[in-house]
Amino acid sequence: MYVKDIMQTEVISVKRGTTLTQLLNMFKSFHSFPKVPVIDNDGILLGVVHIRSFFEIFQPHNQDLLMRNPLSMISREPADIFNIDIEDGMGFLVIVADIMDTKVVKVNQNADLKKAYDLMQLHNRDSIPVVDDQKKLVGIISVFDIVMKIFKEKGLV
Amino acid sequence: MQVKAIMQSNVRSVKKGTTLGQLLVSFKDFHSFPVVPVVDSEQVLVGTVHIRSFFEIFQPHNQDLLMRNPLSMISREPTDIFNLDIEAEMGFLIIMADIMDTKVVKIEQSADLRKAYDLMQLHGKTAIPVVDDNKRLVGIVSIFDIVMKIFHEKGLI
Amino acid sequence: MNIILGMGIILVFGLLSGKLAEKVKTPAITAYLLLGIVFGPFALGIISEHIIAVSGTISHIALSLIAFSIGQNFSGKIFRQVGNQVMWISILEAVGAWLITLVGLLFFKVPLYMALIFGAIAAASAPAAIIMVVREYKARGQFVDILMGVVALDDAWGLIIFSLSLAISKAMYLDLSSSIGNVLMGAIIEISGSFLVGGVLGVILSRIGLFLKNQTDLLIWTIGVIFVATGISLHFHFSVLLTSMFLAAVVVNLNNESFKFFDILNHIDWPIYLIFFVLAGASLEIDLLGKIGVIGIVYMIFRIVGKFAGTYLGAHIAKSDDDVKKYLSLGLLPQAGVALGMALIAKEQFPQAGNIIFTTVAATTVVYEIIGPFFVKLALHKTNQIHN
Repeated sequence: MYVKDIMQTEVISVKRGTTLTQLLNMFKSFHSFPKVPVIDNDGILLGVVHIRSFFEIFQPHNQDLLMRNPLSMISREPADIFNIDIEDGMGFLVIVADIMDTKVVKVNQNADLKKAYDLMQLHNRDSIPVVDDQKKLVGIISVFDIVMKIFKEKGLV
Repeated sequence: MQVKAIMQSNVRSVKKGTTLGQLLVSFKDFHSFPVVPVVDSEQVLVGTVHIRSFFEIFQPHNQDLLMRNPLSMISREPTDIFNLDIEAEMGFLIIMADIMDTKVVKIEQSADLRKAYDLMQLHGKTAIPVVDDNKRLVGIVSIFDIVMKIFHEKGLI
Repeated sequence: MNIILGMGIILVFGLLSGKLAEKVKTPAITAYLLLGIVFGPFALGIISEHIIAVSGTISHIALSLIAFSIGQNFSGKIFRQVGNQVMWISILEAVGAWLITLVGLLFFKVPLYMALIFGAIAAASAPAAIIMVVREYKARGQFVDILMGVVALDDAWGLIIFSLSLAISKAMYLDLSSSIGNVLMGAIIEISGSFLVGGVLGVILSRIGLFLKNQTDLLIWTIGVIFVATGISLHFHFSVLLTSMFLAAVVVNLNNESFKFFDILNHIDWPIYLIFFVLAGASLEIDLLGKIGVIGIVYMIFRIVGKFAGTYLGAHIAKSDDDVKKYLSLGLLPQAGVALGMALIAKEQFPQAGNIIFTTVAATTVVYEIIGPFFVKLALHKTNQIHN
């Protein structure tokens, strides 16, 4: 069984240039923020936005580069989101490209389901984006999709 | 601001005696499995079911006790869910009390939002159940709820 | 070879040997031990003297982490969860193995202080080997539930019995002419000191832990307090095992979210255990193997008798089924990690006798790990826990 057989193909994705306000509006009625793939104009997967990405807004630019040097860490305190200054217009100035996570774990649609499962376990993810051979986003697959598939096969559902 | 001001009070919860089959049916169309609070007959929060709980099904009973002895670990391999022998009847036999996680991080509804946020960061959770003074489940609050609230206040959305 | 290169090689090959062991359905701990023997001075000699010299520090760290994790079982909630049968059986089979091995060895003219230690080590079992069999045969049923509960708790009782026995043995060994009163006094000081250190630090760990807001701080704080507790115990010659276990027990009962202190350690503990067991294998004195014949056989046989008698009595008191009475002890025979840890402590405390204890336990561990799973399987079979 391959990833493409059970992945979700209807995925909400955003562009690099999508603004913060546009992004927030899309998920206004949500209570949990899903993993949102970021694509370029050709549909190629560039990164993902997830709940932690919002904390990036309050960090200086290029801080993610600094994070690669463990000693640059002043502390690993979570962002103090209750005391932030947000300037006017930030909703339009900050775009997805500024906050997206480029350390993407993805899987090819022709990969075996087992490979997708192992990748998610190794990287401790509940879902990962699926791409085709051209690295274009074609879907998303979750641990729950796989568990459900197995339970269905075994007749539990 | 108190947790109850922004929590979702309309939560999908299950009973201790809900069967695995019933649970699966109600989340059949989901692609990600949320944190589902488990309550007893008095609505008192007794645990949560989350995506990892499904893997409990394949472990012998009382194994969670053994996990407290680090040397009981054969290896930390993830469960090999592709080679299971489960039968359809397990959908009726297994109830939430068997698989739920009793290590629950919860918050009182009168607590400050900041406390909820700190708790989620400390335990690495994105949502936690909210209880009243009698430990009864009254809602759930997520990091996204808090982030949204703050963005809202600052006029980003 | 420098220490860092040595550790690196141990970790890399340890990972490899663990994976190989899994393929042949053997617990990783056994593989680490064998790897240690291969790397040790009696075979390849890769593990040099100065690496073995730091093994004392590593084993104290590993043992305090192990005892800390096992200590979280001492909560009222867990005791209620496992129920009467598991409580009675686990306590009595641990005490039974201790007492009968102790008496058996005395009968064969082993000195009392050594017999006490052997007896205490006999109480431990090896959860990994047992779970492995249960999983392999997909065994299910009430018998398996009770077996799992007993296996989970008996190492905890074992650590207590061992700490008490060690305290008494040490007092006896240090001054062979001392009176019973002096021996008991020495033991009481050691034990109450451990309780005091564990108790006070447990309250501190729990209370200050409430102010922590992220996982990095939590990890640093938890390890820090465990090290302080272990270090103080070492300094005053208290029991490292009891101190860590009591530290955990206090935390578990004080704090509803105490699991955070234990779960956070999952990120870092396994490499330490790996090094610990490989070094344990490397410090095995192969040339002593010839001398342990009788003691080894007596230890193995009386341990089995003790496990059986204790289980039978416990099951009788708790009114368990005949199946549990007769066959549960068969499921408790594998022995590995905790027993080796105890033996290493004995080795450090008693220069000569300790070596004999350690070598005997290491050798019998290998035997138990080979024959143990067979008996576990037999027990599951006899009680119809294997469905096909």
